[in-house]
Amino acid sequence: MGVTVEEVWQALQTVEDPELPVSIVDLGLVRGVRVDGDDVTVEVTFTAMGCPCIGWIQEDIRTCLARLPGVGRVEVRVVWDPPWTPADVRPPAWETLARYGVVVRARTRPRGGL
Amino acid sequence: MVTDAEVLERIRQGGLIESVDEMSEAYREALRVTLIVSGDTELLSAPAYYHAAQQAPSVNAYISLMAIIQDELGHAHIAYRILEDIGVDVEQLIYERPPSQWKYPYAFDVPLESWAEMVVANAFYDRAGYKLLGDVYHHTSYGPWKRALAKVDKEEIFHVRHGEMWMRRLARDPDGRAELQRAVDWMFPLTVEWFGLPDDLKRHPAQLTFRIKGLSNDQLRQSWLREVVPFCESIGIRVPAHYDPAQDKYVLDYPLPCEFDPEEKRWHFDRPCTWDDVLRRWKQRGPYNEVFVEQVRRGYRQLRTWQAAAQERFEWA
Repeated sequence: MGVTVEEVWQALQTVEDPELPVSIVDLGLVRGVRVDGDDVTVEVTFTAMGCPCIGWIQEDIRTCLARLPGVGRVEVRVVWDPPWTPADVRPPAWETLARYGVVVRARTRPRGGL
Repeated sequence: MVTDAEVLERIRQGGLIESVDEMSEAYREALRVTLIVSGDTELLSAPAYYHAAQQAPSVNAYISLMAIIQDELGHAHIAYRILEDIGVDVEQLIYERPPSQWKYPYAFDVPLESWAEMVVANAFYDRAGYKLLGDVYHHTSYGPWKRALAKVDKEEIFHVRHGEMWMRRLARDPDGRAELQRAVDWMFPLTVEWFGLPDDLKRHPAQLTFRIKGLSNDQLRQSWLREVVPFCESIGIRVPAHYDPAQDKYVLDYPLPCEFDPEEKRWHFDRPCTWDDVLRRWKQRGPYNEVFVEQVRRGYRQLRTWQAAAQERFEWA
């Protein structure tokens, strides 16, 4: 019996951004989860292309999912489109981040080019 | 100016001091000394870590370390900025003071020469910094510093996590574990020493009386040991300390203080010494003191030289 998409999302909820103790799911970094039998594909993005934790977060995702029963091969795919914006942060993280002195709550999502 | 008694009464009632107008001279002095140690420590950690960054095993690892160094410079800025607010000439402090008079821990004078040493520094030194600044954050009576430290607290934990993540990774492989063990062997006692004189010898009670900080050297050292010793044991790294259930404390398996050879990076557990000996070694500073201080100043000196040259040309014209 393989793992479900729901279980993968739940597990990823426990992976935190190394820089601030907030879940990568709540930060809006996880863009998609696909399960095919035992194989799991996670699409992940980062807050910037120069993010200092690009390798680190992918490693944490692999370690986290390897512990989940019913998971075989894990593929972590980095995606940059659409680019991450502060509007991707989910409500549970707004208050936590504000406590650390980081304001992320954007009223509107910026659209289009420069 | 406000009297010591007035300051102490305000602190006793749980109030915060917000500006120079609300300080006594002794309070300002205790705050000044503590801030200089904090600013110097954060600033000097930058060249010390940058020296080791050349050993980063990948571009991602290098970028992570650069983010840590950037944080440290930000933390230094907080301390120096507050010093400026209380009337200290920070430019003189950073650019004119003899390197031997800087007040950062001796540990940063001993160069980090491998990636293993770098990540042990993140796990040990940054955890010491986290303990010391976390104490200030939770207990200090100086409002502006307390508020500025909210973000610093989280950033120091990022550095510690970086160190421990890499230590776990290196410990999985026998060669990595051996290299890690060599680094821990000299860096563990150096961090234990970092917390300073034991409480019965400590000469700056003003820091505690005025609540610049809340916990004593021995309390902070114990709190550090409580986290570092079990972590090292969990990844199969030996440390010269163990938990004593009778005292409910972590105790050292070697005499503190004892002699250290910074060139060999070796402790002589068979040669105990006095704290006066340690203070003498700290005052003399270690091998990279001048190199790192000069590195911080290089751009400033170049700018001064160019400005002087431009001025000369202007006068000629």
